[in-house]
Amino acid sequence: MNPYVLFFLLFGLGLGTTTTFASSHWLLAWMGLEINTLAILPLMTQDHHPRAVEAATKYFLTQATAAAMILFGSTTNAWLTGQWDIQQAIHPLPATMVMLGLALKIGLAPMHSWLPEVLQGLNLTTGLILSTWQKLAPFALLLQFQTTSTSLLIALGLASTLIGGWGGLNQTQLRKILAYSSIAHLGWMALILPFFPSLTLLTLIMYLIMTLSMFLAFKLNKSTNINTLALSWAKTPALTALAPLMLLSLGGLPPLTGFMPKWLILQELTKQELAPAATMAALTALLSLYFYLRLSYAMTLTTSPNNTAGITPWRLPSTQSTLPLAIAATTSLLLLPLTPAMTALLKL
Amino acid sequence: MLKIIVPTLMLIPTAWLSPAKWLWPTTLAHSLIIALFSLSWLENLSETGWTSLNLYMGTDPLSTPLLVLTCWLLPLMILASQNHTSAEPMNRQRTYITLLTSLQLFLIMAFSATEIILFYIMFEATLIPTLMIITRWGSQAERLNAGSYFLFYTLAGSLPLLVALLILQNNTGTLSLLTLHYSNALTLSSYADKIWWAGCLLAFLVKMPLYGVHLWLPKAHVEAPIAGSMVLAAVLLKLGGYGMMRIMVMLEPLTKELCYPFIILALWGIVMTGSICLRQTDLKSLIAYSSVSHMGLVTGGILIQTPWGFTGALILMIAHGLTSSALFCLANTNYERTHSRTMLLARGLQTIFPLMATWWLIASLANLALPPLPNLMGELVIIISLFNWSWWTIALTGTGTLITAAYSLYMFLMTQRGPAPAHVISLDPTHSREHLLMTLHLLPLTLLILKPELIWGWAF
Amino acid sequence: MTPAHFAFSSTFMLGLSGLAFYRTHLLSALICLEGMMLSLFIALSLWALQLDSTSFSAAPMLLLAFSACEASAGLALLVATARTHGTDRLQSLNLLQC
Repeated sequence: MNPYVLFFLLFGLGLGTTTTFASSHWLLAWMGLEINTLAILPLMTQDHHPRAVEAATKYFLTQATAAAMILFGSTTNAWLTGQWDIQQAIHPLPATMVMLGLALKIGLAPMHSWLPEVLQGLNLTTGLILSTWQKLAPFALLLQFQTTSTSLLIALGLASTLIGGWGGLNQTQLRKILAYSSIAHLGWMALILPFFPSLTLLTLIMYLIMTLSMFLAFKLNKSTNINTLALSWAKTPALTALAPLMLLSLGGLPPLTGFMPKWLILQELTKQELAPAATMAALTALLSLYFYLRLSYAMTLTTSPNNTAGITPWRLPSTQSTLPLAIAATTSLLLLPLTPAMTALLKL
Repeated sequence: MLKIIVPTLMLIPTAWLSPAKWLWPTTLAHSLIIALFSLSWLENLSETGWTSLNLYMGTDPLSTPLLVLTCWLLPLMILASQNHTSAEPMNRQRTYITLLTSLQLFLIMAFSATEIILFYIMFEATLIPTLMIITRWGSQAERLNAGSYFLFYTLAGSLPLLVALLILQNNTGTLSLLTLHYSNALTLSSYADKIWWAGCLLAFLVKMPLYGVHLWLPKAHVEAPIAGSMVLAAVLLKLGGYGMMRIMVMLEPLTKELCYPFIILALWGIVMTGSICLRQTDLKSLIAYSSVSHMGLVTGGILIQTPWGFTGALILMIAHGLTSSALFCLANTNYERTHSRTMLLARGLQTIFPLMATWWLIASLANLALPPLPNLMGELVIIISLFNWSWWTIALTGTGTLITAAYSLYMFLMTQRGPAPAHVISLDPTHSREHLLMTLHLLPLTLLILKPELIWGWAF
Repeated sequence: MTPAHFAFSSTFMLGLSGLAFYRTHLLSALICLEGMMLSLFIALSLWALQLDSTSFSAAPMLLLAFSACEASAGLALLVATARTHGTDRLQSLNLLQC
């Protein structure tokens, strides 16, 4: 892609997200979301093959609908209460509408089915942008506006953790697995949102770090399905040794970083006397853990038989920069002892 | 505390920086020195029972024997894995030692934690190295299945435990083991409290393992490499018993009425798994099932909540830790020579390895609890306290003891006695490394009977 | 609920249900989206008219501009889909399901 065009598109992505961050008016927030969607569409279709176009089409339809729903909810709110502020209390009916729109935008459970398919059609870089940067703007809105529908969020959250675990079990494509893992993590964030919004932010940050390291690792290996993972030990032995730990961290096993948000969320949920929901969410995390475990079996814990041509790639120097991967992997493994620092940073 | 933890941590640089030729001797010497220093924990002069306290960790008579056992086991694991990893590239051997070291680190922190949440995190943290030891260094394809079983059985039990602990923290305001005894007794009356009780205990019962949720254990034992089997039988199962003894204090009024099904399952499990042992053809599987049977006795001893029961449970845990680890090592010497776990293929070994047959005899006798050994003391104390609790238990525990004797005899006769088949004549002779390994297992076991109050726990 | 409120709400809901339930052609989906945006345009302009708010009167135009961009992006995707898949039927967009 022409670097000027690429710069323009990336600038658009940044502009859209920052517009949503900075806005206190629903219309401006909606405009930010629209700029964001319009800027990523060319990035999605830059490899002009049918699957990319199809992914872009699906993404466009869902995002446009979601944005329209958000704007419709806020317009209705303006008609009912006469104000457009995001942070002001909002009438319950449009609040539900906006919430559903945002859920569709980030891919929470009953409105999730676009996410795996869209992610499957993109290359890993665009997929990384889609599953990290594109989540920020909707979450800025989710964290700002005051919802009253606690039970709706709990239902969405539990359904997401369940479906995110269930759907990934049968997948062999890495991007679809990452999409389902994204759905499951979003479920955890939605679950805690009505009680402790800063914890949602913490979970989001942790999820972004962990998914960043996974995407970068897969990108370094150029692998998009489980079978190609089996060859990664010949390309990057050290990364292969760390990859199961990163995956288990994504699954939330102590003493890795991924346990921190889960622990704090469970603690808050039990404080709110929601122990059954907490137990259920914790047990549905096992479903997700199962497919992470399968990935680590394929990648590290078995060594597939191979011919001599297959095991030479590690001799060739890689041209990709591994510094971001190194930083992301380290943070996604070792952050649990720093929990007090993280909570102090976010003023939990 | 740090005088053990920091040297254990430094084992990792030792493993990675020492020259290839000296890798195993240096790590062995280093870990033996750590084990030697850990003996100083056994001297406990404080009135409260807690010594070596720092902010997060401390030892008391309950955790000290388990801690020393943990430290003792690492050199033995290193000694035992030397042969089967020798064909691997150097970096993988170093990684293997690193995994064993990290496991020991997590275990030390689990046993010495004074905060239940820290104990919980370390309890879970031991899963990752163990999983990797099983699934990466096991030899058959079924090891992946065994790894999944191991992970998911444990996690399905322990995630409710996390929620239950957090509820406990909300109710009492603290989870510190030092003060938990003195917090106000909870009013546990509702139906939800009973579920909470089950949530608190289930994770440990799965880890023990209780009969009924024990299926992960034989699989994991059979598929794991020797070091994995050793540490699993010797220490990881004891995490369950240790955790139960710790949490029991908080569950006070409910346990009396709710513990019956679990005691019945545990005692029934002694008989059932003993009978399963009688018809095993797989040597490692036999030893694994015998672990389940012994642990059933421990579970029963803990659940009736008498001082004698707790003491017997601790004695049996330590004694069984050394015995079963020794048996796994012996099974591994056979496995490394015949490359099969089937007992039919390695019969009549007494004529070929006479000294090894002596070790087999001593280990089998320890397994069936012969008089001068602490195994007998543990079983006897538990059986007596169970008998005092209810007369009927003697039917199950007595039968269990009988069956234990029977399968120990079966194992010994099958592998050692009888005419040697033609194919075993050409097996490799035994190494002095293996004899050293067996000595280091069985010497502490016999020495313990001279000063058994070291492993009496709270009763002393 | 005023009649105007009812009118634009039902228009939007019709558009949304059309998008959700009538899944034959991509073009019809785009038209439904456009209908939703136009109903929002009406809602915003009526709101500004009712409250006589001059500062808000630019908002419907902004919305219209953005929805025009969105519609053109949708049409571009329609062309791209027609070129790669040979049709604009939504049922043929099934390459990613495997």
